[in-house]
Amino acid sequence: MFNYFKTIYKVGKALIQGMMVTWKSFWQPAVTVQFPDEKLNTPERFRGALTFDKETCTACNLCIKACPTACISLEPAVDPATKKRIAKVSWYQIDFGKCNYCRLCEEACPTKPIKSVRHTHQYEWGMLERKEMLVKWERMIPSTEPLTSTNMKPI
Amino acid sequence: MILPVWNESQKRSALILFGIASAGAGISIAIGEIGARFSKIWACLSSFALKNSIPTALLTPLSMIIQCSILIGFISVSVMFMVWWERKVSAHMQNRLGPMFTGGWHGWAQTIADAIKLLLKEDIIPAEANPWVHRLAPIVAFVPAFLCYAALPFGEGLISADLDIGILYIFAISGLSVLGIVMAGWGSGNKYSLLGGLRAAAQSVSYEIPRVLSVVPILMMVGSLKLTSIANVQTGFWQIAGIPVLPKWFIFYPIVGQIAFLIFLISSVAETNRTPFDIAEAESELVAGFHTEYSGMKFSFFFLAEYAYVFLSSGLTTVLFLGGGSGPILPSWSWFLLKSFAVVFLFLWFRWTFPRLRVDRLMEFTWKFLLPWSFVNILITGFILLF
Amino acid sequence: MNTEIVKIQGQDSKTEEMILNLGPQHPSTHGVLRVILKMDGEVITSAQPDVGYLHRGTEKLAENRTYPQMLVISDRWDYLAAMSNNLVWSLAVEKLMQIEVPARGQILRVIMVELNRIASHLVFFGTYGIDIGAYTPFLYAFREREKILDLFEEVSGARMTYNYIRIGGVMADLPKDWIGRCRSFLEWMKPRFVEYDTLLTENPIFQDRTKNIGILPQPLAISYGISGPNLRGSSNPFDLRKDAPYCLYDKFNFSIPTGKNGDCWDRYWVRIEEMKESVKIIEQALEMLPEGECNAKVPRIIRPPIGEVYAQIEAPRGMLGIYLVSDGGDKPYRVHVRPPSFINLAVLQEILVGMKVADVIAILGSIDIVLGEVDR
Repeated sequence: MFNYFKTIYKVGKALIQGMMVTWKSFWQPAVTVQFPDEKLNTPERFRGALTFDKETCTACNLCIKACPTACISLEPAVDPATKKRIAKVSWYQIDFGKCNYCRLCEEACPTKPIKSVRHTHQYEWGMLERKEMLVKWERMIPSTEPLTSTNMKPI
Repeated sequence: MILPVWNESQKRSALILFGIASAGAGISIAIGEIGARFSKIWACLSSFALKNSIPTALLTPLSMIIQCSILIGFISVSVMFMVWWERKVSAHMQNRLGPMFTGGWHGWAQTIADAIKLLLKEDIIPAEANPWVHRLAPIVAFVPAFLCYAALPFGEGLISADLDIGILYIFAISGLSVLGIVMAGWGSGNKYSLLGGLRAAAQSVSYEIPRVLSVVPILMMVGSLKLTSIANVQTGFWQIAGIPVLPKWFIFYPIVGQIAFLIFLISSVAETNRTPFDIAEAESELVAGFHTEYSGMKFSFFFLAEYAYVFLSSGLTTVLFLGGGSGPILPSWSWFLLKSFAVVFLFLWFRWTFPRLRVDRLMEFTWKFLLPWSFVNILITGFILLF
Repeated sequence: MNTEIVKIQGQDSKTEEMILNLGPQHPSTHGVLRVILKMDGEVITSAQPDVGYLHRGTEKLAENRTYPQMLVISDRWDYLAAMSNNLVWSLAVEKLMQIEVPARGQILRVIMVELNRIASHLVFFGTYGIDIGAYTPFLYAFREREKILDLFEEVSGARMTYNYIRIGGVMADLPKDWIGRCRSFLEWMKPRFVEYDTLLTENPIFQDRTKNIGILPQPLAISYGISGPNLRGSSNPFDLRKDAPYCLYDKFNFSIPTGKNGDCWDRYWVRIEEMKESVKIIEQALEMLPEGECNAKVPRIIRPPIGEVYAQIEAPRGMLGIYLVSDGGDKPYRVHVRPPSFINLAVLQEILVGMKVADVIAILGSIDIVLGEVDR
C-alpha cells in the first residue's frame, strides 16, 4: 500500500519536473533565426558555390583530375597565330548538379595567391531547370579581354 | 518561480498583447451590453409576432438558425485561434518562434491561409476505400462535436439549450464521435487507418467511463445534472473571518475536488486523442492513424472535430470545476473563455512535454488506476455528504 | 497468406494474418527502410527488414575514384557522423602507405570524431523521442547539434559532409579562437544532459515504453555481429577505442558505459552516457593538444603499395571497418565497408517477433540505423 502511493508520488513528480523543463524554455528567447530577414554570418572557410577566376586560370586540368564527380570541364585556348595551346582557357564549365562542394578542386588549383577556382560564401542559389545548373564561362577570342560569365548569377 | 528575461522583441510583443487584452476586455464589456440589448430586441420581436398572430412555429426555427450560425462561427474561429496558438506555444516551448510571416504580427493569419489551402486541395478517395463510408466519416466525427456545444453554457444566460440533463447529453453525444473515427479507419482501406480506428474505439470507450464517474461527486454535491445550476453553485468565495480566501470552485473542494479534476482532465485528454494518449493518430507508429487517407476538406473536418472537442473539454472543465463564468469586473462569458483557454493551454503543455503511452498500458491505466480512484472519490464524497 | 480456421462458438471463422509494410514511406523508419511485418492483431509474428532503397554503389564507385576523392564519397555513408567515415578511410590508406600522422593531427581527429559522436547521438536522442511520441526533445537536441555543426562549419566549411579528416592528417589547422568556442560549447552542453534526463530519461511514460522492450541477449548480439552502443547495451563492454586503440585513444581517460538487460532503455541510456564520456574526452584532448604540424608528408598523388589492409574504428553506431585492396595504382582495386548499421539492422527479425506495433517503432529507433550507411 505504501509502495503504491510512493509510486504515484514518484510518477507525478517526474511528470511535473518534465513539464517544468518545457515551461522554462517557454520563457527563454528563441534560438532560431528568421531566415530571409536575419542571416547568419558564414565562417571564413565556408564552402559555398564555386566561382571561377577569369584571368588567372592556366588550363592545367588539375581541378578536373581532383574532382570526384567529374563536374568540371574546360578547353584550353588556342593562339590563332601559332595554332598552339596557350595557358589560358577557352571555356570553363561547372555542372552544379553534380558538384559536391568538397573543395578538392580549390586545393588542387596551382594558381597563387588567389585560386582561380574557389568556393564563395554564396549559399542562396536555386535553379528551376537542370540546364541552369551547367554554368559556363566563355572566353571570346584569346586576347586581353576579360572573361565574362554567360549565365552565372552575380556572386 | 522562473521569472522571464525579456528581450526587445518580446517586450514589444508583450506590449501588443497587453493592448490586445485591454481592447478585448473593452470590446467584451461592450458586447456584453449589446447582448443584453439583443435579448431585449428579441423579446420585442417575439411579442410583435405574437400581437400580429404570426405563428411561433416560424419564429423558433429562425432563432435556432441564428443560434446555430453563431455557434458554428464560434467553433471555427476558436479552432483557428487554437491551431495558431498551439503552433506558437509548441514553438516557444521548443525555443523556436513558429509561424512569423503570414499576416504580419507573429503570423496571426497562418491558420486562415492553411484553411484556404485545405479548401483548395484535391479530395482523394483511395481505390481501396469504401467511398460512402469514407465520405461520411468526417461528418459523423464532426457533427456530434457541434451538437455538444448546444448545451455548453458560455456564461450567464449564454446557452442555446439549457437542458435539465445537460451534462448527460454532452457525454452521450460526444461518445458518438468515435463512430466517425472507426468509420474512417475502416472505410479508408488502409491498414494503418484500420489499426488507428480500432485503437480509437477501444480508447474512447474505456476513457468515457472514468470521465463520467469523475463528475459524479459534483452531481452528488449539486444535486442537479443541469450545467447552468452546476456553474451557479460555484459563485462566491469561501471566507475566513470575513476575508474571501478562495473562490467556491469545485476544484478547491478538499481532496474530492482535486482527484475529480485530475481524473476528468486526464480522461478528457484521452477522449480528445491528444498526446500522451494520441495512439489513434500516433504519427510515428501509424503514419496518421485513422486520417491517413484523408486530404483537403475532409481532413480539415477531422481537424475541426479534434479541436472542437479540445475546446469542449476545456469548457466543460471550466463549468464543472472552475466556476464557469463567475469572476469580477469582466462579463461572465469572457471569464468563461479565459478559463477555458487556460485549460486548453494545459492540454498543449501536456502534448509538447510527454511521450505517448502504449496501447495496452493505456488500457491498464484507465481500468486499473483511473476507474478505481473515481470510485474511491465517489465513496469519499458520499461520506462527506453523510457527515 | 497464412489462414487458419478457428472454432468460435461452434462456427468456423477465418482469421488471417495481416501483412503490414512498414515503410519505405513511413515517418519512423529513419529513411527508406521497409520492414515487412506479419501481424496477428497488433502482435508481430514475423518481421523481415528489406533494405536497398538508398543503394548508391559506393564500393564500386571507389574503384573509379582516387584515394582522396573517395573521402568525399565516404562522407555520404553515415551522413550523421561523416567524420568517422573520413577517419576510417584515412586510417586505411595510411596503414597501407605506412604514414605516421603527427600528434596534433591525431588529437584533432579525436576532437572532431568525438564532437561528431555527440552530434550523432543527439540526433538519436531527438528522433527516439519522436518515435516514442515526444516532440520537444527533438528540437532541444537539434538546438545543441546546431552548435556542434557551427563548430564544424568553422573548421571545415561544411555542416554535414565535412571532408575534413584527410589522408595524412586533417584539411587544415583549427581557426583562431576555435578552442575557446569549443570549450564554451562543452560547458554549455553539460547542464543540458540534466535537462534531457528530466524531460525524457526519467519520464515514467518513456521508461514504461522502453524498459524490458526489445531485449537483445548478449549471445544473440554477439552471434549477429552487433557492435557499438547496441552491444554495450547488452552489457558487453566491447569498444574499439579501448580494445584496439587508434588515434592515441589509449592516452585518454574515459569509461565505457554498459547496460544491464539489453532492452531499449539500456541502449538509449548507453548513448546518453556516451555523450557525457565524449565531453570528457574532448576536454582532455583540448588540454593535451600539442603544438606543431598537423599533417604528415603525403605525396601529391597517392599510390599505395600493392597489398590489402583492414582498418576499423568505433563509429557512433558501432564498429566501422574498411577492407581495402590496392594494386599499386592511384585508385583502389577493391573496397569493402563493414557498416555497423547494416549489421545491427539484421537482428530486427529476431527481436521484433512477439512485440506490438508500437514497440516495433521503439525497437527500430533504439537500434539507431542510418539508411545511408545500411545501403551505401
